[in-house]
Amino acid sequence: MKLTVNGIQRDITRAQAEKRLIDYLREDLDLTGAKIGCEVGACGTCTVLVNDRPVKSCLKRVNEVADASILTIEGLAAQDGTLHPLQQAFIDAGAVQCGFCTPGMILVAHALLLSNPAPTRAEIRRAIHGNLCRCTGYQQIIDAVEMAASFYGKK
Amino acid sequence: MKYHDATLHVRGESIYIDDHTLPSGCLHAAVFASPVAHGVLKNLDIEAAAHTPDVAGILTAADIPGENQIGGIIRDEVLLAEKGVDFAGQPIALVVAKTADAARRAVRLVTAEIKEKKPILDPREAYAHNQLIQPPRVFACGDVDAAWAQCEYIISGRADSGGQEHLYLETQGAIALPREDGGIKLFSATQSPTSVQKTVARVLNLPMHHIEVEVLRLGGAFGGKEDQASCWAALAALAAFKMKKPVKLVLRRHEDMRYTGKRHPYSSDYKIGLNAVGKILAYEVSFYQNAGAAADLSPAILDRTLFHTSNCYHIPNVRATGYSCRTNCAPNTAFRGFGGPQAMFVIESAIHRAAQALGVDASVIQHANLLREGDEFPYGQKAVNPHIRKCWQILEERCETEKLRADAARFNAAHPFEKKGIAVMPICFGISFTNTLLNQANALVHVYSDGSVGVSTGVVEMGQGTHEKIRGIAARVLGISVGRIRMESTNTTRNANTSATAASTGPDLNGNATRLACESILLRLKSFLAVLRGLDQPDQVAILDEQVLIDGKRIDWDWPTLIREAYCSRINLSAHAHYATPHIFFDRDKNKGDAFAYHVYGAAMVEATVDVVRGTYRFDAVRLVHDVGQSLDPLIDQGQVEGAVVQGLGWLTLEETIHDKTGRLLADSLTTYKVPDIFFAPKVIDVHFLPDSFNPPGPFHSKAIGEPPFMYGIAGYFALINAIKVFRPDWQVEYTAPLTPERVLLALHG
Repeated sequence: MKLTVNGIQRDITRAQAEKRLIDYLREDLDLTGAKIGCEVGACGTCTVLVNDRPVKSCLKRVNEVADASILTIEGLAAQDGTLHPLQQAFIDAGAVQCGFCTPGMILVAHALLLSNPAPTRAEIRRAIHGNLCRCTGYQQIIDAVEMAASFYGKK
Repeated sequence: MKYHDATLHVRGESIYIDDHTLPSGCLHAAVFASPVAHGVLKNLDIEAAAHTPDVAGILTAADIPGENQIGGIIRDEVLLAEKGVDFAGQPIALVVAKTADAARRAVRLVTAEIKEKKPILDPREAYAHNQLIQPPRVFACGDVDAAWAQCEYIISGRADSGGQEHLYLETQGAIALPREDGGIKLFSATQSPTSVQKTVARVLNLPMHHIEVEVLRLGGAFGGKEDQASCWAALAALAAFKMKKPVKLVLRRHEDMRYTGKRHPYSSDYKIGLNAVGKILAYEVSFYQNAGAAADLSPAILDRTLFHTSNCYHIPNVRATGYSCRTNCAPNTAFRGFGGPQAMFVIESAIHRAAQALGVDASVIQHANLLREGDEFPYGQKAVNPHIRKCWQILEERCETEKLRADAARFNAAHPFEKKGIAVMPICFGISFTNTLLNQANALVHVYSDGSVGVSTGVVEMGQGTHEKIRGIAARVLGISVGRIRMESTNTTRNANTSATAASTGPDLNGNATRLACESILLRLKSFLAVLRGLDQPDQVAILDEQVLIDGKRIDWDWPTLIREAYCSRINLSAHAHYATPHIFFDRDKNKGDAFAYHVYGAAMVEATVDVVRGTYRFDAVRLVHDVGQSLDPLIDQGQVEGAVVQGLGWLTLEETIHDKTGRLLADSLTTYKVPDIFFAPKVIDVHFLPDSFNPPGPFHSKAIGEPPFMYGIAGYFALINAIKVFRPDWQVEYTAPLTPERVLLALHG
């Protein structure tokens, strides 16, 4: 089987296919942006996008996402390293504290904004509710998503 | 380039313990922990596990070359159990294998024969059995016994607050590397690198200079990695030392939740006396702290409880007694507020109850007793610039309190199935470690010959933004762009004998040390130029916006030129500075003294709505006025306030650490332990910083921020109580937290 990760096609060995997606990304590809948080799908630190939809990679085996296109946080910035406007908005809004939830939060927000470039605060809450942040009170995260929305609208 | 760490975070490039590229041959460790809360260890069978494929070795207490002891304040905590076990989750053996999976598979084959003893889980039961960590501590002022005679109202009662799991998103962990000279280098997720260094040195019987501890950052800590990171670092170090291989130990979530301590549950009895107009004349309180199975930081936490007995109120006659009770729970530990919130919950419960007796809203009594300039705290320190009345007044204006209360009353009249409650929480929190000796820090600043600057301090960055604040301090002192300044990792070889990043003191202590180091480099640069240009005084030279000025006029030198020239003239471009908070002292025999450099004040109002059919609730708005002095970084401070508020609300209304009767933690995963999610968070958190507040002890007149706003969450609890009482005025309030939806439902209909 094959998998596309951040635009690069990967051949998957039989052993890799049996791994949890989070372990494949972190151990085999050194993509450590997705974090192991709770291992029961309750915190969202392991979130990656599978065909533009957020998935908790601690709950999926690699063979469950065969042939899919995966986006991890490492694949969001431009090739030249320029931050994606959503990443910049997280910094500008103060939405980042310890940083451990940040990759998952950004990817969930990215998936939301791809499908709905002008979400209400209630819609942002609904989209993010499966991801926990223990540092912020979530307000600044909502602010960041609102701040970045205009960019998606323009695309 | 602002917010260096945040930039790495949003790219997913920041390295936490579990993200390190491991050296070849690195082994992985997993802990075999006691399945029971209390018992005698009769036999430990590691044979089957030892012969499992990929297992490199199994370590027990017998393998410890130094002391089997990790207790910080009191030496009462073993690293690996030897004769008995005192809590479920206590480490007994360490399995080391080629992979983490192999290590955990082998752990399941270890068996321990334990003769079970009855566990004690309740602090009052421990007290009844005389199981105290230390003799009782008493803080007192005035004459409580004589004061009752003058009181119009005397009310007594009980208040209980629960534990709280830190739930830092990054679990505990460490990587230990053997060094060529028999020492160990550690990457540790700790708030206190020096504690780790000291503990590992003791366990391995090595001098401290043989142990190097490096910390890049933590994925949250909240106090949970102040003392309790040391155990995991020591285990990894022990394995690396014995096997002469790198060893990684990272706890999984359910292990972390079972093996580590939490916020201390408290059970307290109070008696409060007031005169006819609501002035509190006397307050007597006994705190029964559930310390868990070992002292850990409990004595210090109990002291802070006693320091904050009277919150921000002036009470002339107080007697507060604290009992640190030894139970068979995992040793409870530091958590944002460090015992202060538990004390404030009790006085607020007492006031709430008294208000019912007086027939007024609690805010009437709260306001009538707020501190004034020069009022004495029970520990003898006088209130200086207590901004609490100012905060309260601005809060009332901003909230339009009268209108808000009238609106809530109208809402309640119109909505049979929903009731609104409102409560106010004024706070006062002392800033300084209450153990005076810890109030010291050092900084090492290097200016490199290209003009870039590296700052090393003992502060650990865990999301609280202290590195960003210290960069800002260095930039302001040197007169250069913040982009030139890099915060280095926290490392014991660069900064020795450091205190934990705790007690909200990080920027105060380490920021002031950085300021001093930068000032000495600046003075050398000015003197160098003064001599070069034949000036009378070094102070004729200034650096502003990276430009060099003489007598206020720009010369043709910018910062890089100045540094290059200074270097070529053999000027020392590095400085190490030490800072010790001045004017503080505390007599631990009399329990009197100016223990704090200053106090932080503020007031919050919380509006909550209870669904009286289902017992569910929401926090509509938290509005607050908070004294942060001159903020070093308003965006960071706002984030600290908002996060603290939500965590405080979680503590008292949502989060519940549940043990079964045998002492096993039932809430040991994120499916059974609920922390605030985005739906729980208040829709509105309106943060207003008190203007025109100046604070000489803080760097550039700032005030500490980390812990104080946590206590605004207490208003959420009382807002729910008030809402329930609208529906059920006859309800006899039990002041028990957390007030979960289940408890709300029972209060409404039970």
